[in-house]
Amino acid sequence: MSAVATPGALDDGALEALAQLLGPEHLITAKPARMHRARVPAPFPVHRWADHLPDAVVLPRDTEEVAEVVRIANRFRIPVVPRSGGTGLTDGAVPLRHGILLDLKRLDRIHELDLENRTCTVGAGVNMLKLNEQLARHGLIYPDDPASYPCSLVGGRIGTSGWSLIGSRYGHTRDLVLSFVHVLPTGEVVRFGDGGGAKVSKSSTGYTLKPLFMGHQGTLGVATEATLKLYPKPEAELSPFWAFADYGSAHRAMRELVWADCATFAGAVLFDEHKVAYLRRDDEAYIPQPESVRALVCAVLYGNEDEVRAGGRRLMRIAKENGARYLGDEISQGDWAARHDRYATPLHGRTKAGQVVPMSWHCEDAAINWTALPAVREEWHAIVARLRERSDVFDDWGMFAYTSARTGVDYLTEIDVGIWEQELDDESWALWIAGKRDIAAVAVAHGGSISACHGACREGEVDLVPDELGGGYDVMKAIKRTLDPLNVMNPGKYGLDGAFEENRK
Amino acid sequence: MSDEFVQEWRNAAYNCFSSGHKFCREVCPVMQVERNESWTPTAFHANVVAMEQGELSVADVAADYVNCTQCGACELRCPNTLFTGDFYRFRTRTVDLVKAMRALAVDEGIHQPGYLRWNQSTDERRHEPVTGGTPVDQAHVADWAAGLNLPTGGETVLFVDCEAAFYRTSVPRAVAQILQRAKIEFGLMREQWCCGGPAAEMGYVEQAQRFARHNLDDWRAAGVKRVIALDPHDYITFTEDYPRYFGEEYDDIEVVLAVELFSELIREGRLTPSVPIERTITYHDPCRLNKRQGIWREPREILRAIPGLDFRDVDRVTQWSYCSGGGAGLPVEKPELTAKISDRRLAHAAELEVDTLVSACPWSERPLSEAGASRAIDVVDIHELLAESLGIEVGGSREAG
Repeated sequence: MSAVATPGALDDGALEALAQLLGPEHLITAKPARMHRARVPAPFPVHRWADHLPDAVVLPRDTEEVAEVVRIANRFRIPVVPRSGGTGLTDGAVPLRHGILLDLKRLDRIHELDLENRTCTVGAGVNMLKLNEQLARHGLIYPDDPASYPCSLVGGRIGTSGWSLIGSRYGHTRDLVLSFVHVLPTGEVVRFGDGGGAKVSKSSTGYTLKPLFMGHQGTLGVATEATLKLYPKPEAELSPFWAFADYGSAHRAMRELVWADCATFAGAVLFDEHKVAYLRRDDEAYIPQPESVRALVCAVLYGNEDEVRAGGRRLMRIAKENGARYLGDEISQGDWAARHDRYATPLHGRTKAGQVVPMSWHCEDAAINWTALPAVREEWHAIVARLRERSDVFDDWGMFAYTSARTGVDYLTEIDVGIWEQELDDESWALWIAGKRDIAAVAVAHGGSISACHGACREGEVDLVPDELGGGYDVMKAIKRTLDPLNVMNPGKYGLDGAFEENRK
Repeated sequence: MSDEFVQEWRNAAYNCFSSGHKFCREVCPVMQVERNESWTPTAFHANVVAMEQGELSVADVAADYVNCTQCGACELRCPNTLFTGDFYRFRTRTVDLVKAMRALAVDEGIHQPGYLRWNQSTDERRHEPVTGGTPVDQAHVADWAAGLNLPTGGETVLFVDCEAAFYRTSVPRAVAQILQRAKIEFGLMREQWCCGGPAAEMGYVEQAQRFARHNLDDWRAAGVKRVIALDPHDYITFTEDYPRYFGEEYDDIEVVLAVELFSELIREGRLTPSVPIERTITYHDPCRLNKRQGIWREPREILRAIPGLDFRDVDRVTQWSYCSGGGAGLPVEKPELTAKISDRRLAHAAELEVDTLVSACPWSERPLSEAGASRAIDVVDIHELLAESLGIEVGGSREAG
C-alpha cells in the first residue's frame, strides 16, 4: 500500500465499510451520480469529464458519519473530496484523484436558533436564502450574500472563505461564522472559533485557528456544522446607480463615495467600459443607456431607514460633485435586484463574426488595491483580446470592481470571460490555461492577490500561488503534511502534493 | 432515437450545463427532501451533455427521471428563463425535457415497473387505476354524479379527471352543483376516457395521443365547443398537449378552468357565497396552476369572498418551493417520496397554525390529506368549500369509500 492516497484505490473492502456506515441508499457508485459531482459552474473541460469522476459518492447525515467516512478513507488510503453546494468557481469540489466524493447536502438541519444572543447553528448543507426565510420571522438575517446566494451552502462558504457583496457592512464569511465543527483530515472532530466558546466573536486564548480552517478548499478537512452571527433585518436598502463618461472618472468617484465612510455603506461596484459595452450588446435585462454612458458605479446602503436616508443624501451629493449622473430609481432598484439575484451574465456570447452562441461564464476575482485597478484592467483586457484573436471560443464580457472593505483599500476585481464549452478541445483548453496563468501573474505583479473570493486552485492560476505567498506557501505545505499525513483530503489541490514529494526526499 | 433526442436537446442542455447556476435547486420539491444532486434539474440537463459525449446512455439515467413532479418551479427560478427569456424567447423547459427523456426510455423499451403497470391498466380500463370506493371502469365513470340529473353532451361539457371521478367524488359534485346554481348549461361526455396527460408525463406518448384522439372525437360527435376542466392536470393537458397533438383541428375548442370561471361569476354577482365557514385556512397553490400557468389570483379571490374564513395566505412566489408530490407519476413509482414532500408542505401549513389546508387540485389532495391527518389539519378542495358557502349539500366522498 502506498504511503499516500492513490487514485482508483476504492476496493471492495472500502466500499463495504462505507456501505455498512451509510446504508446502500447513501453510498452511490452509479456513473451518472459520479458525473454530476465531477464539476462546478466554472469552465470545465467537457471532453475530459472522465478524468474527474469520483469512484463513489457518499451522502452522510451528520458529523459523526462524515468523520467515519474520513477515517475509512485514511484506513484504505483513498482520496476524499468534500462538496456542499458545488457552486464554487475555483474547482475546489472537482476531484483530481478520483476517490470518495463527500456530499454534504443532507446536513441541512437548523440545529439551534438563539434569539437572545442572535446566533444560529446550522448544518453545512444549509442554503442562506432558505435560512433567511426562517430567520425573517424573527426579524433577523444572516447577511452572507454571494452571487450564488440562492444555491450555495454554508459548508462551501467556509471551505472557500467566501466573499459577500455586502461585506463592507456586515463582513464576509470569516466574520459571520463565529465557530464551526470541523472534521480533521485524520477523522478527529474539533470546533474552531475565536477561543473555545461556540458563540464568541473575539478571543485571545491560544492560536487563532479559525481562519486557517477556512478557504483551504477541502485540503484540511471539512466543516460540518456552523454557528453564525445574525443581524437585524435591515429596514431600508438604497442602491443608487450613477453613469460616467469614462472609466477614469468612475474610478475616482468610487473612491470618494467609499471615503465618505457612511455607517450604512454596504458596498460599491464599478462597471468598466467593456462591461457596459457587453451589457449593451448582449444583456437584454440591462436597461439601455445612451452611448454617452461608458462606465457605471453603484453604491449600496443597508440599515435603519433614517440612517440610510442620511447616508444616501451624502452619497448623492458626493457623486454629483464628481461628475456622476444619477440613473434614476427604476434602474437603481431593478438593476441591483437583478445583479444581486443572479450571476450577472446573459449566458451567451458571440463569435467574432457576431454569431450568438451559448457560453459558460468564467470570472476572475483578484484582490487589487485601488491604485492598481486601472493598470490591471488594461493588462487583463489585453490578455483576453489575445485569446479571442486566436479562438472564437472566448469572449470578453467586461470587468467589475467591488469593494471588499469599507476603507476602499482593495477591490474584488473581476473580468468575465465567456467560454463556448461545446467547442472546447485540448488546444483551446491549453490556450485558456495559459491565459489564466497570465491573468494571475498580473494580479501578483501589482501587489494584489489572485483570488478575493473563489480560491486559487484551478489549472493555470495555481502555478502562481507560491509566487504570491512566498514563504507562506512553505508553511502551508508543512501544515498539510502535519495534519493530513496520508494526503487524503482533496489531494492535488493547491499543488500540495509537492509537500509529500519533499517529505519522501 | 437517442441521437435525435440529443440533437434536439443539446443546446438547451448546454444552456443549463454551461451556466451551472443551480438556482433551481432549493425550490425543487424532490431536492428539498432528498438532497441528492442527481435528482435536480441541473443533473437532468447535464445527462444530455454526457449522452452527447458518449459517457452515458438513456438506460443509465432513465430511473433518475422518476424523481420529478413536473411542477415547473425550476423553470421559473432559472436565470436563463428570467432574463434571456425576454429577448430571445428562451425558456428553460425542464418539464418538457423530463417528459422527453421518459418517452425516449419507453421507446427504447426501458420501463419503470410502476409506470408500466399503471399505464397498462389505464389502457385496459380507459381510466387511471386510482384506488377508491368506486370501481374504475367505463361503466362507473359518472357514478359521482348520482342524483344530479346531468345531461349528456351539449356545447359545454364538464371533464372530470380520474382521481375526482373515482376517488374524491365530492369535488366534481361540488363543481357540477355550483355550475347548476349559476345556471350554466353543461353536460357530461358521451364516453369520457382519461385525458391521457399522465401517460404523456410518464413517457407513454402513443397511448396519450390515442386517448386524446378519443376524447376529441367524442367532443366533435356531440358538437362540443367548450370544455370545463376542474383539475389543473387536465387543464395542462388540454392547453399544452392537445394543441401540440392536433394543431389547427383543435383551435375552436375553448378550455375553461373551473376556478377561473367561478371567480368571474363571483365578480359578476352571479354567485354569492353567504354561508359563513368558520375555519382557519391557508391555500396551497397547485403547481400546475401557479407555477405552470401563472394562475394564482382567482383562487384567492374565491377564498376572500367566502365569509367566516380566517385566511392566512402565503404568497405565490414563496409557494414556488411548495408541492404536494402528487404529480407526474411520482406516487405511482415512489409513494414514499410523495409522502415526504407532502409532509413538508403540511409542516409549512402547521407553522401558520391553521386547521385547514385548501387546495384546488384533486391529485394533491390525497397525499396532502394523508400528511394532514397526523397534524390534525383538514385538507379541503376549494370547490367543496365554495359549494358549502353557497349552501349546497355536496355529497360524494373525500376518501376511499
